[in-house]
Amino acid sequence: MIPETLKKSLQARVASAITAREAAVDVMKELQAHYGWLTDEAVQEAAALLGLSPLQVEELATFYEMIYRRPVGKKVIHVCDSISCWCADCDKIIQYLKDKLGVGLGGTTADGMFTLLPCCCMGMCGDSPAMSVGGVPYGRLTPELVDEILEAERHKV
Amino acid sequence: MPKLIIDDIPVEVAPGTSVLEAARSVGITIPHFCYHPALAIAAACRLCAVKLLDGPVKGIQMSCALPAQDGMVVSTTDPEALKMRALVIEWLMLNHPHDCPVCDEGGECLLQDFTIAGGHSRRRYQGKKRTFQNQYLGEGIHHEMNRCIECYRCVRFYQDYAGGTDFGVMGSAGRVYFGRFQEGALESPFSGNLVDICPTGVFTDKTGRFRARYWDYQFAPSICQHCSVGCNTSPQNFQRETIKIVGRRNDQVNGWFICDRARFDKGYLNDPQRPREPRLDGATCGYDVAVDAAAKSIAEFVRNNGADKLALVGSTRLSLEGMIVLAQVAEAAGGAKVCYFDDAGLQQGSLAAAKLLHEENAAYVKDIEQAQWIALHALDLMEEGPMLALAVRKAFLAGAQIFLVAGDTLPACKALPFKYTSVETLDQVPFEGGGKGVIICGAGSKDPELLAEMASSGAKLVMLQPGPNGFAAALLTQQHAAGPLAELVAARQVQAVVCFEADVPQTLLSDLEVLANADWRRGAVEAKAPIFLPTTTWAESDGTAINYEGRAQRFERSRVAGLPLKGLDPKYYGSATEAVTLHPPRVHRKDVPGGAERDAWQVMAQLIERLGGEPVEPLTGKWRALKSLDPEGEGVRILEMGLGE
Ligand code: SF4
Ligand code: SF4
Ligand code: FES
Ligand code: FES
Repeated sequence: MIPETLKKSLQARVASAITAREAAVDVMKELQAHYGWLTDEAVQEAAALLGLSPLQVEELATFYEMIYRRPVGKKVIHVCDSISCWCADCDKIIQYLKDKLGVGLGGTTADGMFTLLPCCCMGMCGDSPAMSVGGVPYGRLTPELVDEILEAERHKV
Repeated sequence: MPKLIIDDIPVEVAPGTSVLEAARSVGITIPHFCYHPALAIAAACRLCAVKLLDGPVKGIQMSCALPAQDGMVVSTTDPEALKMRALVIEWLMLNHPHDCPVCDEGGECLLQDFTIAGGHSRRRYQGKKRTFQNQYLGEGIHHEMNRCIECYRCVRFYQDYAGGTDFGVMGSAGRVYFGRFQEGALESPFSGNLVDICPTGVFTDKTGRFRARYWDYQFAPSICQHCSVGCNTSPQNFQRETIKIVGRRNDQVNGWFICDRARFDKGYLNDPQRPREPRLDGATCGYDVAVDAAAKSIAEFVRNNGADKLALVGSTRLSLEGMIVLAQVAEAAGGAKVCYFDDAGLQQGSLAAAKLLHEENAAYVKDIEQAQWIALHALDLMEEGPMLALAVRKAFLAGAQIFLVAGDTLPACKALPFKYTSVETLDQVPFEGGGKGVIICGAGSKDPELLAEMASSGAKLVMLQPGPNGFAAALLTQQHAAGPLAELVAARQVQAVVCFEADVPQTLLSDLEVLANADWRRGAVEAKAPIFLPTTTWAESDGTAINYEGRAQRFERSRVAGLPLKGLDPKYYGSATEAVTLHPPRVHRKDVPGGAERDAWQVMAQLIERLGGEPVEPLTGKWRALKSLDPEGEGVRILEMGLGE
């Protein structure tokens, strides 16, 4: 159940869209922010708000990699494994992240802080290898830089 | 009209035709998966590659998405195109399981056909295959996601074409999954078409899995007998059992698809409880004995009470042939009455519709699809003509306004695959002089004046008939000035009846003597009749049906009459006393077990001969023109032929 205030603001968002579907991503993101991930309940709530079927919301939710249909840590690390980053040896960075966090791709650290996910090109090819942590982009990654970033992100609220 | 050359063959096609269709028109089938003539182009599978050697575009192109243009020189056999298709099919087959022997699609699988046609016969890929969990999708359809090749046909049909919202495509890239949000029965009343439209074995008909292969089936072109739309079907029979029913293309009626009732509602055909043996006073007898007894009983009744106290009763379930000969039986009996309807209201509406419709005002399916507005008048469309809902949806998607007149309380409104405005009366539908508008209503039980008012609106008309062959019943009723049975009984004009595939209600039966009954199903009439004559269903007989728009269509016998071999009672095996395992008969017998049924009109013809009449042939006189009806054609509108008058 979402609070009435959130519901009202989402209804307003849907009402201001030309087609309800167009507001779907915003609604899903808000609900995700509320629950921490897009729960089954949230999919149904989004469907009711958007006038779509739960399946139609699920189609969108499972298409976008920033919508999480499973529980995730406080911050999600999206590490790019597309072509430019691959040329810049992202495999090494990914392996470093796995080892450092003690999780595989898709895993969440024991303290619930980070979830590690591979992702498609983020448009940062010029600064490859690249990743984002909790929505903040980082480029030209080295193991040392990764250490620094994770340490900083851990303490940032 | 673009002129092009495909594999050295000059082709001329209508503007907008794809190269794939242009090639098909000269007998060249380019392998394809995602392309389907009824659906929007997706160009998702990349299999239909051809090479353009000359003209406005050059090189490898997807033929399904490329409109034919003047001057194109197309090669479907160029080595580069061949290579491309072979590689694409190999790639589409990477994850596909080696399933054919245990896949119910095998033998009727587009993937098998085009894998071979595409030149891929050795698997090089040694890696792991992507696998999925299947979902329970209801009692009609079995799900086997591992066989998916991501052509998107299913979701384009289910959501775009049929307006369903509970089935779709989830995930992305190598994880795309075609299914529901949660397991559960598919909600669309057209869901069964997934079986036909998926080029692989992801969706198979659960009601007929693992019974037979394509080459085992007996087929024939047939016409659905569930409502008066008359969709074209093809029943697949195996050993006297209707295993599956699939849609058959007729652009004038149902396009490529059928509703789930047409597909899945077939249990009655195979029902072991179907009455199969002729009976005389409760005891099984030979067919001719029963016909003799019926003729004798008719003659006796007529002698004692006069022919006008007897009625020959048919129904909208009878074929046109049966309806025509029914009136001749009445004549042979010395002038007995004939009824095609029990209910006065149904007869009145059905007749009024048949009279009002003529070639100009009777809507074609195209008229519905291209209408600017459509009014559904107090109509439960999903009950009375489900496939028309898809035609209305096409108009709706193209911007037509849809009105539901006086229909808010009808149960199926929620399932309608389009949005509509509710209004109370027809006057509230805003249209000027008809325009490109269509009024759709059910004719049965409608006041003829209301129907006439609709006809005077200038709109095109769809008046759905009560029962599959209601239009024919109306024509014959008119021709023979037949009365509704209920009225004749109320006026005490009829004392006894002979029924042919008639569902006379219990209330009428209590005032009537039933001399004989011919039918393929059980019911109150059968229970009361001393003489019973089993008849064949549409699956086991040749016949003609006339749909709501007056379109006569021929259906053909798709199998012989008789009990399905599966589950056959051991009494039909070699020994009547010993228990025998479930194995077909080991001794020869000339007759098919339970195969005594005859076509209703032929039983009537035999009765006529026993009553001293001449041998009859149903499609003579004004009906002769229908004799040569092509069962694989589009049918003919009798209005056009002047047969409606
Ligand atoms: S879908 Fe076709 S190719 Fe695949 S296993 Fe079934 S029959 Fe074979
Ligand atoms: S399930 Fe069938 S129709 Fe749907 S995408 Fe897969 S192969 Fe195509
Ligand atoms: S490939 Fe990694 S950011 Fe573009
Ligand atoms: S049939 Fe042309 S791309 Fe699929």
